[in-house]
Amino acid sequence: MTSKPNFLKPTNLESPGAIQFWEGLQEGKFLAPRCKHCGELFFPPRSHCPECLGDSLSWEELSGKGFLYSWTELFFAQPEFDTPFFLGLIDLAEGIGRIAARISVKTAEELHIGMPVRIRISKPGEWMALYYAEPSDPGS
Amino acid sequence: MPPKRKRAAIIGIGAVKVGRYPERQESELALQVIRDALKDAQISSRQIDGLFTTPDLQGNIGLQTNLLCEYLRISPRSMAEICCGAIAGGLTLKYAADEIQAGRIKAALCYGAVREGSIGWFKNLSQGKGWSMIEPTALQPYAAYGIIWAYALSARRYMHETGATEADFALAAVRNRKNAAGNPAAAFAKPITVEDVLRSRCLSSPIKLLDSAASLDGAAAVVVVSEEAARDLSPHPVYLQGWGLHHDPSCVIPTDNCSTSISHFKATREAAREAFQKAGIRPGDVDVAEIYAPFSSHELIIPEDIGWFQNGEMAQALRKGETEIGGRIPINTDGGLTSRGHPWAATPLYETVNIVRQLRGTAGPIQVRGAKVGLMHCEGGMMNNGLVMIFGRD
Repeated sequence: MTSKPNFLKPTNLESPGAIQFWEGLQEGKFLAPRCKHCGELFFPPRSHCPECLGDSLSWEELSGKGFLYSWTELFFAQPEFDTPFFLGLIDLAEGIGRIAARISVKTAEELHIGMPVRIRISKPGEWMALYYAEPSDPGS
Repeated sequence: MPPKRKRAAIIGIGAVKVGRYPERQESELALQVIRDALKDAQISSRQIDGLFTTPDLQGNIGLQTNLLCEYLRISPRSMAEICCGAIAGGLTLKYAADEIQAGRIKAALCYGAVREGSIGWFKNLSQGKGWSMIEPTALQPYAAYGIIWAYALSARRYMHETGATEADFALAAVRNRKNAAGNPAAAFAKPITVEDVLRSRCLSSPIKLLDSAASLDGAAAVVVVSEEAARDLSPHPVYLQGWGLHHDPSCVIPTDNCSTSISHFKATREAAREAFQKAGIRPGDVDVAEIYAPFSSHELIIPEDIGWFQNGEMAQALRKGETEIGGRIPINTDGGLTSRGHPWAATPLYETVNIVRQLRGTAGPIQVRGAKVGLMHCEGGMMNNGLVMIFGRD
C-alpha cells in the first residue's frame, strides 16, 4: 500500500500520559501504558490508570493489529487534510480499546466491517509522526 | 400510580423562532423568552426564586445568573449555570424540579439562549483548543471540525447491525421537515423528499447535509412551580411525572474498551427505564415525544433505545408512518433538531416547550389529538449521557 498519510501536529503534546505515546510514534512504536500498581494495560494513554488511578506507568508496544468496527468517508476536515478520506474506527486486537485512524483505501468497496487491519506509523518528518491504518494482507 | 405529592409543574413557556439573530445579544434573547414565559404563566418576575440556565460560550461564562438577576431585579434562593454538554438545557429543569420538590423554592425560571450556534466552539476545537472534549490520543488527530464523523461511525455501525439504509434515515429527515411546516418557530419549512436528502452534499458518509441539524440561534424559557402552586395559578399545568438520568463511562466515541456499543446507547436506555419506572407508565403509554437526534440516523436509534421499538424495527416503523402525527408514537412533531433547528444548549427547552403545547392542546397544525403524556429526551456528547423526562396533563 503506497498511501501517503497526512501529517498534523498533535495539539495535546503537553497532555500528561500522551507524551510517551507521541514520542513512541516518532521512534516507530505503537505504545500503550501499563499501570505499575495494578497491572492494567490500557488504551488510550492517559495520565492515570482508569482502573486504580495509579500514575506510575510503564510502556508496552502493541501488535498494531485490529479489526474494523465502523468507518466513514469524511468530506471535510482541518485544512491540513486532503479530503475526502476514509476514517476507520478500529478495535485493537489486544481487546483493550479502540482507535480512530485514517484508513488507506481508495474506495468504500474495499472496506468491510470486521475486516483485519493494521496500524501503521507514518515516517517522522517535519511534523509529528502520526498513525494510519491499512487493510491487513491475507494471512498476516 | 406515581406519588402525587410535591411534583413540579410547568406553567409558562416562551421560545423565539430558531434562526439567526446576529444583531441581538444573548441576554436580549433570554429576556425576551423569559418575558414571554412569565406572561404565559401569568406571574410576575418578583415571584421567581430559582434561576437555572445553560452555558454561554460567548464570553459571560459563569456570570449569566448575575447578569439576569440584575436585569430582572430578582433575588433567587437557588441558581446555577449548568454546563454538561448539550444535556444542560434538560438539567436546568431537573435541578429546578429538585429544588421545588425539596421545598427550597417556589417558582423557577429555566432558560437557554444561544447565539452564533456553536461556531466559535468548533473553531476553537479545530485549532486544538477543545481537545480534552474528545479523547486526545485515540481520536484527536482526526477529530477536528465537530463530531459529525463520530455520529457517522455510529450510523454506519447501526446500518451494519440492522440492515437500515440511508433511504431509511432520509425518511426521518423528511418526516421532521413535514412536521416543521406546522411549527411557526421552526427554522426550515420548505418540504423535502427522500431523493433530496439522498442527493444532498455528503458530510461524513452516511450523513449528508439534509440528514443534519443546523446549528442556529435561539432561546427558550420555562417556568416551573410546585404542584400546589400550579393548581392555583394555571388553567393548564403540565406535571413532571418522572425523569431518568444516566451517564455511560464514555466520551463521544467510547475508546477505552472494545465492548461499548455505538449503534445503541446504554445511557438512553437507562434514563428511559428510570423515567418510566418513576412515572409508573410504560413506553406505549406515551402519546407524543421529542427526542434529541442531531442526525437522522439517530432518529432511528433513539426510539429503539427508549423502548418503543425493538432494535432494527425503526426503519419499518418510519415506512409505515408510525412516528408521524396520527401514528402510533408521534416523534418530533415540531420538526426535531434537523428541521426546527438546533440552538444547541436551548434545544432541550425547545423540546419541552413543544411537549407542553401538545399536552395543553395548543400545538395548532402539529397537535397530536388528545395527547395526555409526553416524553422529552436529551443527551450529551454522543449519547454518552441521557435525560428522559415524562410529562403529563395530570
